Amino acid sequence: MSGQTGEKVIFAILGVPMLICILIFLWILSLLLTGIGTVRWELFTMSALRGGMLEMIVGTIYLLLGAAAVAGPIGVLAAIYLVEYAPSGGLTRIIDQAINNLAGVPSIVIGLFGYTFFCRHLGLGVSLAAGWLTLALMMLPIVIRGSEEALRMVPASFREAALALGATRWKAISSTILPAAAPGVVTSVILGMARVAGETAAILFTSCVLITRGLPKTPFEPVMALSYNLFVQIVALGAPAQRVFGITLVLFMIVTSLSLSAILLRSYYRLRQPWLRMKG
Amino acid sequence: MHLRSQPIEFVLFLCASFSVVILLLMLLFVVMEGSLAFTRLGTQLILGQMWKTNSDLYGGFPLIYGSLMVVSGALLISIPLGICTSIFIAEILPFQLRDPIKSVIELLASIPSVIYGFIGVTFLAPLIASIFGLQSGATAFTASLILAIMVLPTIVGVSGETISAVPIEYKEAALALGASKWQTIRNVILPLSKSGMLASVMLGFGRAIGETVAVLMVAGNVAMVPTPPWNYLAPVYPVTAVIAMQMGEAAVGSLEYSALFGLGLILFIITFAVNTIADVIVRRRPVGRSVQL
Repeated sequence: MSGQTGEKVIFAILGVPMLICILIFLWILSLLLTGIGTVRWELFTMSALRGGMLEMIVGTIYLLLGAAAVAGPIGVLAAIYLVEYAPSGGLTRIIDQAINNLAGVPSIVIGLFGYTFFCRHLGLGVSLAAGWLTLALMMLPIVIRGSEEALRMVPASFREAALALGATRWKAISSTILPAAAPGVVTSVILGMARVAGETAAILFTSCVLITRGLPKTPFEPVMALSYNLFVQIVALGAPAQRVFGITLVLFMIVTSLSLSAILLRSYYRLRQPWLRMKG
Repeated sequence: MHLRSQPIEFVLFLCASFSVVILLLMLLFVVMEGSLAFTRLGTQLILGQMWKTNSDLYGGFPLIYGSLMVVSGALLISIPLGICTSIFIAEILPFQLRDPIKSVIELLASIPSVIYGFIGVTFLAPLIASIFGLQSGATAFTASLILAIMVLPTIVGVSGETISAVPIEYKEAALALGASKWQTIRNVILPLSKSGMLASVMLGFGRAIGETVAVLMVAGNVAMVPTPPWNYLAPVYPVTAVIAMQMGEAAVGSLEYSALFGLGLILFIITFAVNTIADVIVRRRPVGRSVQL
């Protein structure tokens, strides 16, 4: 009996840190929610030239969509290679290791590289396009890992059935495996977007400026972004909290809705596709 | 193999090797831009005591010290919190609650660092200033606290993965032999997931040392080793913060510009090493299915 009480005490002690984690989350949430009252909602659709944040919101969306358009296809194709084709051996291990290492490169170093390589050596300058490429580098490992997991969860019988019907290897992949893995692949791209939506260090010197005249008309113009503006307004301009609360909230909402939709999408498809429930 | 599917395979292979190419390019270009600093400053870039842009002095020691100070403070807080949380979620929490709690931690991970910085500047720094009676709450301690929150999800996530990767037969065997739940955790699960936990800490370290924006906003940014060196209530200027703050003004090709890339290379090497070690640790795990970092 005393052993059981002792165990309960240990479990309770182990539970405290988890409660702290949840309290931290609730604390952050409540801090952000207290600011809602001070936000002037009409600023969302007003041009930045008149103190609004329209260009920042649209600029952030431009950056996200472009980066996803670059990292999405490359990431998915890389995942297909790793799951379906890659021989187990030295080269595959190197690729695998490189993906993990790329995921671990600090965003400021990615920003340095983006500046010297994309902006200067490729001649893109400080531009939307340079931002796309730089952010795509940060998204890539997330898309590859997520898509890989989705592809691996498709039962082998799917592939075998297609091959038995005479499909080529690629035909089997593109007609049966990829469609079955599609929800997981989409989820991984959304997760990647959530990861870079609030990224600041990587676009600090590659893509953003504090103010533009209207939206960029070509990918070779600099762009405004919520994260960059929030950062510069606080650090360089010393803006008081209530002036930047609007930006913080919009950014928080964009990032949170992206991650929430990825989480919900994942659990929805786990329920819908019975073979996915086997794992985890 | 069908001949017709080979070009496709080649395209797929190119996409997969893209990460390798990018890493090599990154190393190449950062080394190239930093070469002036390496030849002119040599070991001064790491050991030099003074970082003063105005007098063209680029000694990185106070910056590296600042980074390590902030990161060790953060890990001291987040390792115990994170490991306990991951054990609790994986083994003790009722099954229906696991996914919701994991989602909350995932959301915590997705909050951008600039928002953490904002919270640090607006709420945490004033709080710390008033508690300790400081003029400014922008200190190494504040940065450690914010950073601890930011690396918590990494530690919880990766150690949680390794704990749930322990084969269920091991657990069942222990329980069938009459071990209590805690005995099973302590004598079966923990020894098997120790290496994964170590990997999670390494990854947390890598994440923390590379974190830029949030740290910059709350660390105070004074390029000096605090006196005494363990004084967490003094401002520091971590490496990442220096790069972010000074890149904008550094003239391309100047010694300052090159020194900033030199610092970038140091960060690149540290994180590369840490991630590789974490990877090796996870691959060498004794049992259980593979774990994705």
